[in-house]
Amino acid sequence: MKSMPDKRGYYGEYGGRFVPESLINALCELEDAYRRFLKDTTIRREHARLLRDYAGRPTPVYHARRLSEKIGLELFLKREDLVHTGSHKLNNTLGQILLARSMGKRRVIAETGAGQHGVATATAAALTGMECRVYMGAEDVARQAPNVHRIKLLGAEVVPVETGQRTLKDAVSEAMRDWVASVRTTHYLIGSVIGPAPFPRIVRDFQSVIGREARSQMRRITGRDPDVVVACVGGGSNAAGVFSAYLGEKRTALVGVEAGGRSHAPGDHSASLGRGRPGIFQGSRTYLLQSDEGQVLPVHSISAGLDYSGVGPEHSYFRDSGLVRYAECSDADALHACLELTRTEGIIPALESSHALGYVMKNRRALRGATVLVNLSGRGDKDMGIIEEALKA
Amino acid sequence: MSGYNGVYLMGNYPDADHFTAAARLGLERFDFLEVGVPFSDPVADGPAIARAGEEVLGLGFRLEDLAASVGEIRRKAPAGKKIYFMSYANPVHNRGLARFADVARRSGADGLIVPDVPFVESAPFRDAFTRKGLEYIDFVTPENTPEQIDATARSARGFLYFVSIRGVTGSGFTLDDATRAKIRRARRASSVPVVLGFGIRSAADARAAVELAGGFIVGTGAVAALRDGGLEGFGGYIDSLFG
Repeated sequence: MKSMPDKRGYYGEYGGRFVPESLINALCELEDAYRRFLKDTTIRREHARLLRDYAGRPTPVYHARRLSEKIGLELFLKREDLVHTGSHKLNNTLGQILLARSMGKRRVIAETGAGQHGVATATAAALTGMECRVYMGAEDVARQAPNVHRIKLLGAEVVPVETGQRTLKDAVSEAMRDWVASVRTTHYLIGSVIGPAPFPRIVRDFQSVIGREARSQMRRITGRDPDVVVACVGGGSNAAGVFSAYLGEKRTALVGVEAGGRSHAPGDHSASLGRGRPGIFQGSRTYLLQSDEGQVLPVHSISAGLDYSGVGPEHSYFRDSGLVRYAECSDADALHACLELTRTEGIIPALESSHALGYVMKNRRALRGATVLVNLSGRGDKDMGIIEEALKA
Repeated sequence: MSGYNGVYLMGNYPDADHFTAAARLGLERFDFLEVGVPFSDPVADGPAIARAGEEVLGLGFRLEDLAASVGEIRRKAPAGKKIYFMSYANPVHNRGLARFADVARRSGADGLIVPDVPFVESAPFRDAFTRKGLEYIDFVTPENTPEQIDATARSARGFLYFVSIRGVTGSGFTLDDATRAKIRRARRASSVPVVLGFGIRSAADARAAVELAGGFIVGTGAVAALRDGGLEGFGGYIDSLFG
């Protein structure tokens, strides 16, 4: 396959760097620094050491036998919920914090939706002694309170964002505004495969450890590659990470699962690949949920981490080229899958990851007998409040 | 005070009538008008302009309505005044670059300013607009290298928009020595006026910008004055800038 992205940061016709001119040279510097990072064996050894001894990698692949039996297929879970801080997000923040340090930056800023990336950034900042500020939509601050407390306890500042829909996209916009003013001293530690080039590539590369590990683990356990690999897609970082090892493999189908929310009506879901059109949003040309006038639409998902109007540009390319198929899972199906895994296997998954599981359970007839690998991107402790509320309703 | 100066107003804010009246008033004093196209996610704008945009969107904004207002402003504007649409990339991309250019041209506008399209991504936008005889305005910033400044300044049409500060619209106005040197460099290399924007609010800021660059753009101050003081407040504010 052709190397992606190209020199201009495009995946086919998606990606690019749609940011104010003030940020262009910072993006070029970041690209140069990342190129040096890739060649620097000392820093890469440090990164590998942290992933192993600090984050707890490799994470296991677990054969969920009881649930497999119940739904009539062979279900394997890549246990990113076991990564330190409770999700795959730390894979990226450990890499980017070392990258930021190599550039001489002493301050990092981040956006967060569910709070998992905020926690992972604050953790990496505490580990390296960096100053850290996390932008979080005011609505997410309210519904993900435990993570807000964790971020603060880790010594970072949480700034609630009151503009727009007061969720993830508004936190990204606010972080970009900060970065325009602070670019000389500050690294924007973006948490998903979104934003202007080179961010989508850097984040994908740091998450590709998921795919590399999972592929060899699956071969060791089952003797072959799985029939289907499933991951949830908000911005799309955990999916980009696990898919990266299987792209172009004819015998393994890749399925990205977007948040189907409560209905197909605009504003009730966040399925940008399934129901959006190409647009230019937060640094990239990519699929976007937008009105006829090109205004970005509000979105909904029971999981704050999938509640995003856009999607990483590489996924837009995967969609158009057919390398990955994108599907939806509703709030209700995700919640059902969350409970099912909890009570059958004793694993409480994050509501984000429950969307990938929900897709598998919903399509169990079509998948009968298949070997299915689900990327269990995070654990569900943070979602207790939402789950309790939803069960009461 | 001389110089080549512009005023920014959020399109159809607070409503179409006040907007067109303020624009007419503005063009008595200023050489050009920037018309903000409201956008749901304005990453380059501070709270004053962002909130004005949100209000216009809340009333059910349509580009055609704004084009009608611009047409009326154009009909009544003194000869030689210029009008530019300032839109984020997505509303332009969504309409289709050529079709957006058609809308702008039919309304009597002279060109387009897109704050989230940097020079490296500008070719399709520039081409679509110049093909219709419209100007595509380039930005230069304190972050640009001298070589980038020279290249951009040489190809600039209409005017060269120098973003004078690091930050969003409405931030404070201070210039360090390196920025001053870059502004002087842009002025030497450019065959069109260089205009300082972002952060200019007072007569002192405006005078400093005209002296250094040859012109200024006022945005946040103008939008806030119209919001708080209506047409009278707005008129008083722009008078004070030239005082």
